[in-house]
Amino acid sequence: MIGVFIISLNLVPLRFAMMHIALLGGAVGLFLKLDPMLFGLLFCTAAALALGPLSDKTKMGLGTLSGLFMTLTLALAFILFYKGQINVLQAFSILWGNILSLTLWDLVTVAATSLFIIAVVFLFFKEIQAILYDREVALSVGLPEKRLYYLIVFVLGLTIAVSMRLIGALLVDAFVLLPAIGANLVARSLKQMFLLSSLFGFVSGIGGLCLSVAVDVPASSMIILAASAIIGVCMFYGRRYHTHGKGF
Amino acid sequence: MHHSIELIDIDVSVGGVPLLHNVNIEAMPCELAAIVGANGTGKTTLLKVANGTFRPDRGKVHVMHQDFLTHKDPDALRRDIATVPQRSNHNRFPIRVEEAVLMGRYGKIGVMRRPKDEDLGIAREAMRLTGILSLEKKLVHELSGGEQQKVALARALAQEPQILLLDEPTTHLDASSRTEIMETIRKMHKERQLTTLMVSHEAEWVGQYADKVYLLKDGTSHLTA
Repeated sequence: MIGVFIISLNLVPLRFAMMHIALLGGAVGLFLKLDPMLFGLLFCTAAALALGPLSDKTKMGLGTLSGLFMTLTLALAFILFYKGQINVLQAFSILWGNILSLTLWDLVTVAATSLFIIAVVFLFFKEIQAILYDREVALSVGLPEKRLYYLIVFVLGLTIAVSMRLIGALLVDAFVLLPAIGANLVARSLKQMFLLSSLFGFVSGIGGLCLSVAVDVPASSMIILAASAIIGVCMFYGRRYHTHGKGF
Repeated sequence: MHHSIELIDIDVSVGGVPLLHNVNIEAMPCELAAIVGANGTGKTTLLKVANGTFRPDRGKVHVMHQDFLTHKDPDALRRDIATVPQRSNHNRFPIRVEEAVLMGRYGKIGVMRRPKDEDLGIAREAMRLTGILSLEKKLVHELSGGEQQKVALARALAQEPQILLLDEPTTHLDASSRTEIMETIRKMHKERQLTTLMVSHEAEWVGQYADKVYLLKDGTSHLTA
């Protein structure tokens, strides 16, 4: 569902920035000999709160700012690895995720985050629709556009941070971005986009997992292939059944 | 009650380069004022100054007897000012015409509130007035340029504004579509007794519709008609 925000607002760089910020958080945790996963989540949550307002204050687009954070946080993380004599493989493990080693606290975090996201989308549906459609229109009809945009960026950042802990950075695209790309090709409303992207994420996850067991290939690769196959089907369906207007 | 909009002694520079200097524009209640000028003269910027989304370096913006730039709740003022931007940047976002028009009501409905039957009725009336009621179930990105422009006009109408700002409403349209759009704007302006500010680079026909015309040249404004 959150992938719809990424596609509509063109926030793909944000997802990469979050990955590197999580790495820096993990590096800080390991340097201080504390839980790297928790620090990764804390750093991502703080970044999710700060990136929206920061991009406005600095007059940099969110994509550009994400690019800056991507490289800066990586540099800082490696300084900490070097100074703290931290095993790099141990540090990068926070990016892999391990769904089988989740604790009760992890499950509570995921459940709470999921409920929070659903509540935000339900309560602010028409405002989110306006922002995703056209930020300038949202501003001109008198909506508090900036605060709503910051809320969307925060929800996005938080989701990526929690998802990385659950499934690792590499699979975030498979579950968040790819299903939204497919949904965007066939949906005829925002509601449909949210529902279809969630459905495609579920189907590619379960289907990919089952196929990976059947043909003995890594689960993450098979899930991504399954999500890509769904996009292929959506492209075929979209081309066949939708007419295109001339536009401006 | 009908309102005026005044831009007083506006200075704007972009990237340190002066763009507008001492610009004075006024549209009296129920007047249609046009601002014409070549591309790059700052017409769109001026319209953004008028709806409070761009802060000038100097000057005042008086809208509905209030100073926009010092107002404590500019979003509230903006609910009575409908802006039709030059180009939509929504690409293939899936939204039906009826939803896109209803969006004009969102500011007045309020955050976290659902549209009421009254809001749906206002949106339908706006679609009827702009001649797009038959297209209400179609996706906006499937429409022609002229039809998409009518959707933007209907959304502005649904907002029930006091003031209407139009940015190049007929750009990229052929002659017959342009006439159709301008007649729709004239009808909207008269029936709803709006105060309208319109910018265009097509000076040759603007005078047929406007009560007064400002020329934007060399960074400043001149009242021509």
